[in-house]
Amino acid sequence: MGRPKALLPFAGEPLIAHVVRNLKRIFAEAVVVAAPEQELPSLPAVLVRDEVAFQGPVSGIYHGLKSSTKEVCFVTSCDAPFLNLQLIASLLSQIVDYDVVVPYWQERFQPLHAAYRSSVTALLREQLERGELRPISLYPKVRTREIREDEIRRLDPEGLSFLNMNSPEDYDAALQLWSKKNPISVSIELFGVARLVAKTQWVSLALPQEATLAHVFSALAEQLPALAGRVIDSGGLLSGYTCNINGREFVRAPSAKINSGDKILILSADAGG
Amino acid sequence: MRGFHGRLLHIDLTTGQRCWIDIEESRLRAFLGGIGLGASLLYEFAPPGVDPLAPANPLIFTSAPLVGTGLTTTAKYAVVTKSPLTGFIADSLSSSYFALELKRAGIDALVVTGRAAAWSYIFVQNDQVKIHSAEQLRGKSPLESEAAIRAELGVPAACVAAIGKAGENRVRFATISNEGRHAGRGGVGAVMGSKNLKAIALCGDQVTVVADPAGVDRIAGALRQRSLSSVTDKYRHIGTVANLAAFNRLGTLPTRNFQQSTFDHADALSGETLTASNFSRRHGCASCTIRCERLFKAVNGEEQRLEYETLFALGPLCGIDNPDAVLEAARLCDLYGMDTISTGGTLAWAMECSERGLLPESQQLRFGRADGLFDMIPAIAERRGLGELLAEGSRLAALEVGNGSAYWAMHVKGLELPGYEPRSLKSMALGLAVSPRGACHNRSGAYEADFSGAIDRFKAEPSRGRLVSESEDFAAVLDSLIVCKFLRKCFNEFYLEAAELLSKVTGWDVSDTELMRAGARIHTMKKLFNVREGWQAKDDWLPERLLSEKLSTGVGAGSGLSPDELRQMIQSYYQARGWDEYGLVPEEKSAELCLPTDSASLALGSV
Repeated sequence: MGRPKALLPFAGEPLIAHVVRNLKRIFAEAVVVAAPEQELPSLPAVLVRDEVAFQGPVSGIYHGLKSSTKEVCFVTSCDAPFLNLQLIASLLSQIVDYDVVVPYWQERFQPLHAAYRSSVTALLREQLERGELRPISLYPKVRTREIREDEIRRLDPEGLSFLNMNSPEDYDAALQLWSKKNPISVSIELFGVARLVAKTQWVSLALPQEATLAHVFSALAEQLPALAGRVIDSGGLLSGYTCNINGREFVRAPSAKINSGDKILILSADAGG
Repeated sequence: MRGFHGRLLHIDLTTGQRCWIDIEESRLRAFLGGIGLGASLLYEFAPPGVDPLAPANPLIFTSAPLVGTGLTTTAKYAVVTKSPLTGFIADSLSSSYFALELKRAGIDALVVTGRAAAWSYIFVQNDQVKIHSAEQLRGKSPLESEAAIRAELGVPAACVAAIGKAGENRVRFATISNEGRHAGRGGVGAVMGSKNLKAIALCGDQVTVVADPAGVDRIAGALRQRSLSSVTDKYRHIGTVANLAAFNRLGTLPTRNFQQSTFDHADALSGETLTASNFSRRHGCASCTIRCERLFKAVNGEEQRLEYETLFALGPLCGIDNPDAVLEAARLCDLYGMDTISTGGTLAWAMECSERGLLPESQQLRFGRADGLFDMIPAIAERRGLGELLAEGSRLAALEVGNGSAYWAMHVKGLELPGYEPRSLKSMALGLAVSPRGACHNRSGAYEADFSGAIDRFKAEPSRGRLVSESEDFAAVLDSLIVCKFLRKCFNEFYLEAAELLSKVTGWDVSDTELMRAGARIHTMKKLFNVREGWQAKDDWLPERLLSEKLSTGVGAGSGLSPDELRQMIQSYYQARGWDEYGLVPEEKSAELCLPTDSASLALGSV
């Protein structure tokens, strides 16, 4: 990846913060297991350092379970931006008679998206001591509930819960997918000539996350073609026009950031009367 | 001389004397024309301390070097005098064929002093000057007077500027009107009325020679092209009325005498709505490619010209939400020749007085009551009943009524505020406070900075002094060359291009820095006149309401402007101008700009 995964910007925050914030919606306690020198942002979680770096997921699961005050824990990696809280709740609800509840998706166990009972920590420590670094070695030794693909699809049809990022391409694809799944909504109010030309006063636009004014202009020209060439061109607003966000700030630069819920006014750049 | 005729015509209506006086080329180069030339002549012709309505107060009409060159938007003239509304300089512009005819009459300025024994009008036809009786025109509207004079003279080509009943009755905000347009602000029509002068008619065939006709054509052609680009879309496709809906959303639409900055019924009055429901015709001044004027259909089927300032002042400012009522009120103001901003501002003050029980004689005078407007506008023009009081403008009327009503008299130096809410436009707040002609949106375009995005328009900051002074200098140059402000954004490098244009017209070698200095000189000239006429630091201030009440509606809710904030901005402005902390112009500053000092009057050498 070339840079720390946990700190990759995602939906306006570091990826680890995005994951923790998402989990905190259903969990009272979160434990983050980090490498000895790993840099992390401030998080609403208990921070635990691996005693030995690069021992793989078994070590992470072991340290996390050991540090938790709870009997049952859900375990995930820091690069899973599309966690599905309903699926997680379903895993947890099925652990009553088991020690592990683990999804089986596309012919693979998903040990870093599974529920574990804290009672398995002793076995995990023994695994580490033997150098068995694959979590699935644990499953035959305990009461393991395997969640089949058809069960998963009922809650997460595309299996996005298991999507993680191991390359810059994966990261870009995840960002794009996030924007597509989570569009922001803005309203546009047209004034003066723009309103007369478009024959409408209001337009609502769904824009990708991290949208800028360039996205607004492009979507606007697509939705109201009459504005293209009259008010908007490929470079943004024509020089006779300006843009105001929420009645407060005048902006023209296509790179200006837009937030969900913004009310964007398109009006004449000349206020002479 | 190129670009000018190099002379003025002085007519004394008391004696009937008229004389042509040469204007030094150095004065023309220093003050350009229009407002600048007018201000320098006013300083010279007005006796210090003159009563604005006394015969000695000069009424000055000026032309300018770009008039008649074919450059789009330059068919304009200026009227300069001492204002009966403010007691300081009044400098107003109007436009179209009368402006072209003033230039063709062979003079750069017409200075009228004295008072005719009976109602008169002046007819200038090249070197012939005649003074005719105008007794038969008394009571006629400006448009009726124009037609009657052309018919009486038998000169269909004559162009006429006239006053209506308001000017005849010396209403302190009366206009001078030509072809339906007005030199509107500051009561220039009252000064004309005080001279028993109903109208001025012009007809000439004098040619102004320019130094480099091909060069002028080249620059004018490029600007003509740019005048048809998107930068003028607002003016070409909807007109200034487009401001209303946008200003409302931005929380900068003065409403109910500045009690609010948004109007609940703005949609009903918006330019967009008016265009859809009442549009009749687009019109323009002579030699203008932008053609910003919009004529709307009134209830009686007639066409009525409407601009944003009229729409705001007779609409939201008075709480009126019916477009037909605003059109009718605008028609009455045009008919009688009254400034619509001051009319609306004074009536809004009166409505508030009336609602507070201070004017019991007028039950209809309430916010939102159109019948109150329809009754009061003619009453003001004729100085009947309560109209006698309101014809004085809000400042003097508030002095008469007392009872704290000065608190809601929304004027600066006596001139009623235009439709830009100062509490949500802090640069404009400063521009309005310090403007020599009073609350004015034309001599300072400081709102441009507020709408630019480069600054926070809700913040009062010391940096605004420089912005405002630059905006004033820019306006002074535009108003003196004369170029319409609606062309200003068509220049890529205004001072460079305007200097080149002026050089091609006059044959002078004018640089951009010379032109910038001329702007500062012209503005300072106006200030020096005001100082001579009794200006004091307290005159650069805003109405108390604006400094005491925070905005309560719209996106600007909670925004206010404290006296300390205004004081600091004013000091930053004086500093940017090189004036002292009391707002006075130091002798060395005047000398640096070749302006009069205590020890020297207008001593124009090399500029």
